[in-house]
Amino acid sequence: MAANQPDQTPIDISRRAFLQTALASSAVAPAALLVARGAGRAWAQETPKKGGTLRVGFYIEAATMDPHLSGSKIDRQVYHNIYEPLVVLDANLGIKPGLAESWQQPDAKTLVFKLRRGVKFHDGTDFNAEAVKFNFNRMKTEPKSVRKGETASIDTVDVVDAYTVKLNLKRPDAALLATLTDRAGMMVSPKTAQERGAELERNAKGAGTGPFVFVEWVKDDHLLIRRNDNYWNKQGGPYLEQIRYRPIPDDTVKLQSLQAGEIHVMDYVQPRDVAGVKADRNVVVLDVPSLADFAYQLNHTKPPFDNRALRQAVAYSLDLEQIVKGVWLNVGVPANGPIPPTSWAYDRSIPFIKRDLAKVKAKLAEGGKAGGFTFTMTTNNIPINVQEAEVIQAQLAEAGITMKIKLVDSATLLSDGNGRNFEMISYQWSGRPDPDGNTYQFYRTTPGTSLNWSGISNPQIDGLLDKSREVSSQAERKKLFSQLVRLLQEELPMVFIVHPIEPKAFSPRVQGYDPIPDGMMRFKDVWLK
Amino acid sequence: MGLLILRRLLATIPVLLLVTAGVFALIHLTPGDPIDAMMAESVDDSVKRELRRDLGLDRPLYLQYATWMGRLLQGDLGRSIRNSEPVIQNVGRRIKPSLQLAGLAMAISLLVATPIGILSAARRNSTLDRVGTSFALFGICMPNFLLALLLIFLFGVTLRLLPISGYVDPLEEPWEGLRSLALPAITLGLALAAVITRTLRSSMLEALSEDYIRTARAKGLGDGAVIRRHALKNALIPVVTLLGLQLGTLIGGAVITEYVFALPGVGRLVVDAVFARDYPLVQGVVLLIAVGFILSNLAVDLLYGWIDPRIRHR
Amino acid sequence: MATILVAPASSRSVRDRRWRTLRRAARARLAPFGATVMLLAISVALLAPVVAPYDPLKQNLDNTLARPDRTHLLGTDNVGRDVLSRVIWGTRVSLVAGFGSVVIAVLAGGLLGLLAGYAGGRIDGLAMRMMDAVLSFPPLVLALALGAVLGAGLTGVVIALGVVYTPTFARLMRGQVLAITAREYVDAARALGAPGWRIAWTHVLPNATAPIVVQASLSVAFAILAEASLSFLGLGIQPPGASWGSMINAGRGYLQQAPWIVFGPGAALFVTVVGLNFVGDAIRDALDPRLRA
Repeated sequence: MAANQPDQTPIDISRRAFLQTALASSAVAPAALLVARGAGRAWAQETPKKGGTLRVGFYIEAATMDPHLSGSKIDRQVYHNIYEPLVVLDANLGIKPGLAESWQQPDAKTLVFKLRRGVKFHDGTDFNAEAVKFNFNRMKTEPKSVRKGETASIDTVDVVDAYTVKLNLKRPDAALLATLTDRAGMMVSPKTAQERGAELERNAKGAGTGPFVFVEWVKDDHLLIRRNDNYWNKQGGPYLEQIRYRPIPDDTVKLQSLQAGEIHVMDYVQPRDVAGVKADRNVVVLDVPSLADFAYQLNHTKPPFDNRALRQAVAYSLDLEQIVKGVWLNVGVPANGPIPPTSWAYDRSIPFIKRDLAKVKAKLAEGGKAGGFTFTMTTNNIPINVQEAEVIQAQLAEAGITMKIKLVDSATLLSDGNGRNFEMISYQWSGRPDPDGNTYQFYRTTPGTSLNWSGISNPQIDGLLDKSREVSSQAERKKLFSQLVRLLQEELPMVFIVHPIEPKAFSPRVQGYDPIPDGMMRFKDVWLK
Repeated sequence: MGLLILRRLLATIPVLLLVTAGVFALIHLTPGDPIDAMMAESVDDSVKRELRRDLGLDRPLYLQYATWMGRLLQGDLGRSIRNSEPVIQNVGRRIKPSLQLAGLAMAISLLVATPIGILSAARRNSTLDRVGTSFALFGICMPNFLLALLLIFLFGVTLRLLPISGYVDPLEEPWEGLRSLALPAITLGLALAAVITRTLRSSMLEALSEDYIRTARAKGLGDGAVIRRHALKNALIPVVTLLGLQLGTLIGGAVITEYVFALPGVGRLVVDAVFARDYPLVQGVVLLIAVGFILSNLAVDLLYGWIDPRIRHR
Repeated sequence: MATILVAPASSRSVRDRRWRTLRRAARARLAPFGATVMLLAISVALLAPVVAPYDPLKQNLDNTLARPDRTHLLGTDNVGRDVLSRVIWGTRVSLVAGFGSVVIAVLAGGLLGLLAGYAGGRIDGLAMRMMDAVLSFPPLVLALALGAVLGAGLTGVVIALGVVYTPTFARLMRGQVLAITAREYVDAARALGAPGWRIAWTHVLPNATAPIVVQASLSVAFAILAEASLSFLGLGIQPPGASWGSMINAGRGYLQQAPWIVFGPGAALFVTVVGLNFVGDAIRDALDPRLRA
């Protein structure tokens, strides 16, 4: 294992721990916080103030306000403040009650939710079982719905009584609950959805139940939400008067906006900026381990990577530690597979593939290319990808393999990937709370176009993936996933590189932020000093 | 004159046809498709296929072009694939910041370039001239994005004088709006000022060497008056032409400035649309930019003809 | 654009005139600087393997973002490569981008302009309409789309820029053709039975070259700048190769930490473009009869 890997147990970040981390990672020294160094408890009890407008900068703006039609990651950032899912994630990726107070599984193909009472949508209508049924039907039948795949295992939804709803599944799906912590579980007001129709994508007034209410969205400029004073959860926030989201496409400008005080929060600090920002007294940086996995898919359907020995040769040529240190500046950890260290399914006993030039030689010979071979890597034209590609190119060259780099824009990348028009292609998956979300659709044999870009079709892998959905015990599933990871390291549909950390940066005025590893910024308990 | 305008306008139609055919072919040749780009993390292949069918993206190219042209002739530019809003609405929303930026940049450039250009010409080969010409050269040779970055660093981060990103409409909030446009306008304006300085200097030199200037001087008119009353008017003609031609570039071409300063302008709109393969939006915006360019050329030609009687009667 | 007054073209006086022009150009104040820069750039480009102190591709992840010092005169970049060597090798790429695109534009545009000016009528109309269409097309969109179609490499950018600059040269050539063919000596040559192509060769082309050369030198400068801008949007030379523009773009995120990554290539870009401008200006001033007084 690498010498400087951070603690890999799922992070339990309490408010005090957050402050301690923040203090350690920045040199902020206003008097109040100095006191807090020795008296964390006193600090934690400072009363949150109501009011203020939080200005948030993301790199693009949301694409749509309708969670059932949403395909973009940034949309989710806003949704988690105005909509609420049936179940929510806590800091350990555990599943906790959301709009559903409790749930039971009488058998593997049935899921019964008992819903929270007294919750109203922002348009005044009641949240109840009928609403839940409406939502699931909408996800499954709305023509442009992007949630069809996520809800594929749900067959029918029954309203048992006003606050009890029963999901009848087509097959056991152990990953379903985790999926319901995000868009697939978010409840939209039936009244608003029906009345507003397609307008819902641009105007979500009245549609959610969350701590904040949608106010307006001036496209390309800003999106505004304000405090929901009738929020059902009377514990804690919301405190902020308003939240204003603004798209700032350029990373450097976004960071400078934060440093200049024009925005209070930004979603992602580039690895190259992290050291400098941590030394800046005007900014607080939080290292949030993410669910993401960044890898390169290898095309199993054509040469050279239809040959397993050659795939393994590439894997052994890579020095992941050098990549993580030199390119990612240790804002991340080398990956042993698709499951991130934040997940309960992560098996730290499986090491990531280490560089071994002797094995490379052996594998090259085994693959019939003792003198080396040439291939092309297709990757996205963003600076860190380019840098990583260049480093990989140099590492492979040392091992006798020639790699060419082909830079494309994202639309072309997607098209090349979907069409299997590549040899090795970059793939960055933002990650899902359940390990199934990081594995099933990538490695399961799937006919036609799918996210299984490598084209891998391995009955053992298929078997493990299917079983992991049927089995409900977490301990058993973990064993299955460990087996899967070992198999993936053998078969190499992807070469795994890094599980990135997603540092978030704040103005020191921002208090009360509780990070969850899914990277979503929930501002319910946040307040401005 | 009216007939001339009409004839010129009619002559633009084949040009626009070529432009539309060109952009259509080009954008459809690029690999990738808008549905894949929109639904990158989705597994629902059937949904994608249905969406493509809805939008007519699965039909042969010539049919798609014909349909688009047909709608165009009825005045319908189509809808953006990404946000389903009419193209016109998308452009309308973005044209205001672009126009404001262009206007402000032009004003700044004239403010800077006019005195330098005139003085350089008036005191030819003096130190002032050399400084002026150097400034002009610097502005022309400086990469636009580098200038933007340096300005941000200087004014935004170090001095904290001006906002470095975002857009506030000067028509709604004059002071904040001007401040938000200041840095991008200076970036564009300085580059433009450099070009104008050169043009103004050389046209000023030309004007000052005319015979009637010698006459005026012989009559005892001082330098300042000579410049103001006689030379300047004629020297400004090429500058006006230049500005007119630059308007098109400023609006459609300020992409990098808009990108760096996070301004919601037309330049960024079209580039983002290309990256997202949002065909109707790309086609519509390129057409509009082409129309704008052609109209501003026409306007400049007419203005030129009106100012300079020698040309009018050609 | 200054119209060139052309005396009857007899071959010897054409050559004499060209010599005189060149001498006058050389006397312009800043021409020597411009010429020096150009010669320097070209020789650096040709001699890059000899002149560069390090392998421009050699990474050293233990020595990234190093300040300029005696071992690395311009410091190292984000993967530890020597910036000076990359700037030196980048000269090749930038010059190829600049000259390549202008060569394409001159050839394509010149040919079109010659054809249009000579043939007149419908062909002229068609050619000029096409040129107008290209001119009204936003150049960035054209380059982006061409880049996506042709693949993002340097070839795509050179072709795209060539297309963008073609109308300028087409119009220039056409204007020259129209001006020259109106001269009496051409009528005389025709009356004597000289075929069209011969007239084009002996009369039109020699006299048209001057303004084209002026415009070309300025266009090369713009093309080099344009290539830098396009790399901002992700087009151009593929890694690990680099042009000045792509180096500036890659280094832009490090401006506060390691400004030398940007200023090294930035300075090279600036100086070369300035030099090209001087050369172009000198030639233009020398050719402009009005400034001879």
